[in-house]
Amino acid sequence: MEDDREKIFGAIRKGLREQSRIVAQRNPRSPLLSPMSADFDSKFSRFSSELARVGGETFVSNDLKPLLDSVLNRTHAESNIFVYDEIKEISPTGISSLAESRRVAYSSDLSVGYDKREVAVFDSVIAPCVACIAETGTIVFHTEARLPAALCTRLFVVAPAKSLVATLDEIFQEKFSSFQGSNLFFITGPSRTADIEKELVTGVHGPKEVLVLFYRA
Amino acid sequence: MGLQSRNFKELYKKQIRKPTLRTNLSKATLQAVDSRSQSFESIDFDFLQNQAKAIKEETISSLNEYLSQYQDAAEHNRCKVFFAQSAEKARAYVLDVARSHNVHTIVKSKSMVTEELDLVPFLENYGIEAIETDLGEYIVQLAGEKPSHITTPAIHKSRKEIAELFHDKLGSALNPDPPFLTAEARRVLRNKFLSAEMGISGANFLIAETGDAVIVENEGNARLSTSAVKVHVIVTGIEKIIPKFNDLRIFMRVLGRSSTGQKMTSYVSLIRGPRSAFEKDGPEEVHVVLVDNGRSSLLGTQHQEVLHCIRCGACLNVCPVYRNIGGHAYGSVYPGPIGSLVTPLYFGKDNAPDLPFASSLCGNCTEVCPVGIRIHHHLLSLRRDVVRLKKSRLQDFVFRSYRKAMLRPGRYELIGRLGGVLGRAGLLKAVTKGWTRDRELPDFPVKSFRSIYKTGKKS
Ligand code: SF4
Repeated sequence: MEDDREKIFGAIRKGLREQSRIVAQRNPRSPLLSPMSADFDSKFSRFSSELARVGGETFVSNDLKPLLDSVLNRTHAESNIFVYDEIKEISPTGISSLAESRRVAYSSDLSVGYDKREVAVFDSVIAPCVACIAETGTIVFHTEARLPAALCTRLFVVAPAKSLVATLDEIFQEKFSSFQGSNLFFITGPSRTADIEKELVTGVHGPKEVLVLFYRA
Repeated sequence: MGLQSRNFKELYKKQIRKPTLRTNLSKATLQAVDSRSQSFESIDFDFLQNQAKAIKEETISSLNEYLSQYQDAAEHNRCKVFFAQSAEKARAYVLDVARSHNVHTIVKSKSMVTEELDLVPFLENYGIEAIETDLGEYIVQLAGEKPSHITTPAIHKSRKEIAELFHDKLGSALNPDPPFLTAEARRVLRNKFLSAEMGISGANFLIAETGDAVIVENEGNARLSTSAVKVHVIVTGIEKIIPKFNDLRIFMRVLGRSSTGQKMTSYVSLIRGPRSAFEKDGPEEVHVVLVDNGRSSLLGTQHQEVLHCIRCGACLNVCPVYRNIGGHAYGSVYPGPIGSLVTPLYFGKDNAPDLPFASSLCGNCTEVCPVGIRIHHHLLSLRRDVVRLKKSRLQDFVFRSYRKAMLRPGRYELIGRLGGVLGRAGLLKAVTKGWTRDRELPDFPVKSFRSIYKTGKKS
């Protein structure tokens, strides 16, 4: 089907014919009223409080143990847990011990263009992330499979401590703009709605629980 | 359902009589206003508003170049970009895509532009099931209604009404508890996500520099509608462009706060294109339909800045008129102060002659607008345009005569006396019936101020 590009561009040209180009004076200063420190502890405390405000939880550790304990506490023998391969690489023994008491599958088990019903069975997902933002308690994902983390009820995220940035200004930069692949995805706490009389309800379509472990390798 | 804004006067009267509407609306809007204020406490709103306005001004003043840059980048990312001047063209293209993939079920996330195009009923006429997956949108779709708010579509409905609706349509237990109702929707819609072949979404922003579509939401339904499908179609307006990736540092900070009082919405998806070689899921095709449908007609006019709107809905929540009459009264998918501008400007002033008057001109809307649109100024100037359009010979005669009378003291006095006589005889009441239905006509004194003044001076 022929599109209307030329017609639309013609109408725009006509409308703007007497106007000159305006160039915005972009001011790089931070709009935050109290500046944020760059040290990990300050960023961690801000991230934790922001994520807690929207119902998420945060840990920091030198290994995955607190996260795996949480997984065990919140799931049962019948639970299906999806683990991204990057997590298995961080702690092969931790994940193997989890697999002894839970049904665990890995991202490498998925074929390209897999049937989406295959991943709808996973109630819990352990996923890596590429960055976390202290200012808003946001987690940034860039994974080979998007669906498991979007469909599950519990999302456990492993974040390298050095991936924690202070503000959104650090994310919306050249480094992140050149990501490869089809999408970059941000989550700030559980899936939620206030569509019914403005009462907050979590777990609408996506995860009801979101936990982040900062991993100091 | 089409545009009903011509019937504004009948619609608002009908809405205002609904017993629960105003209670539902004021509860929800006041809460939204409160959360918005709190969310801006730790951040410099004026700075963000100035920056957002400047970036939007830059974009719109060079819209051709930025659209072109966006198209190149998006096509480089393997998206298919389609420009549609009219609603018909946009609908036909989406149908074409659906048919070429033999699509039976479409999952749709919230998008005002698709509402504007009446896309869902159109697709359903062709036997394609198109399901709204945002909870509020799903509720209004089940009820056979239209959204009544830009960001909270079912704001007019109480939990009790929703429970009755779910009971009737889904066979759910009659339970008005929001977590129960939400779980019911999740259960039904999960199956739709798993069976749908195609997803339709809007886009809050399109980045010219990188070709990304930015989709902001809270529920995760847009994430699923754009991930759990073979084909993803983005339908959005040509004005949604922003120049740079870095501009998101401004827009991400104002959108969530202005719309739902959150520092950041739960989900933000930056969609760059279809599934790439290293990815195992995601759509195989991404189409972007860029809709004009009246937008370009604002360029070069005094209303050009209305195109800056990022559809946050903040102006609706603070509007005393919206709070009383609700979204359905406007007879347009775009309600509230911004709807009173967009509707006549996009779809013709003749089609919405009363909407610019649906405002107290208090300026609350202008104050909260994150992109600094001077909403109430535009409403005022649109009123002037509409009055000029509607001008009748009689009205013209009356105003010309009035002007002449006001310029000559003798004539002014004569009219004053005549008015007094007619007023006392009750004749003016008959002539001004329409005007005095909701207002009191003052009593006409036996002696005018002039004659009292003259008498006083003599004595
Ligand atoms: S006019 Fe301003 S406040 Fe109203 S919806 Fe648009 S951006 Fe938001």
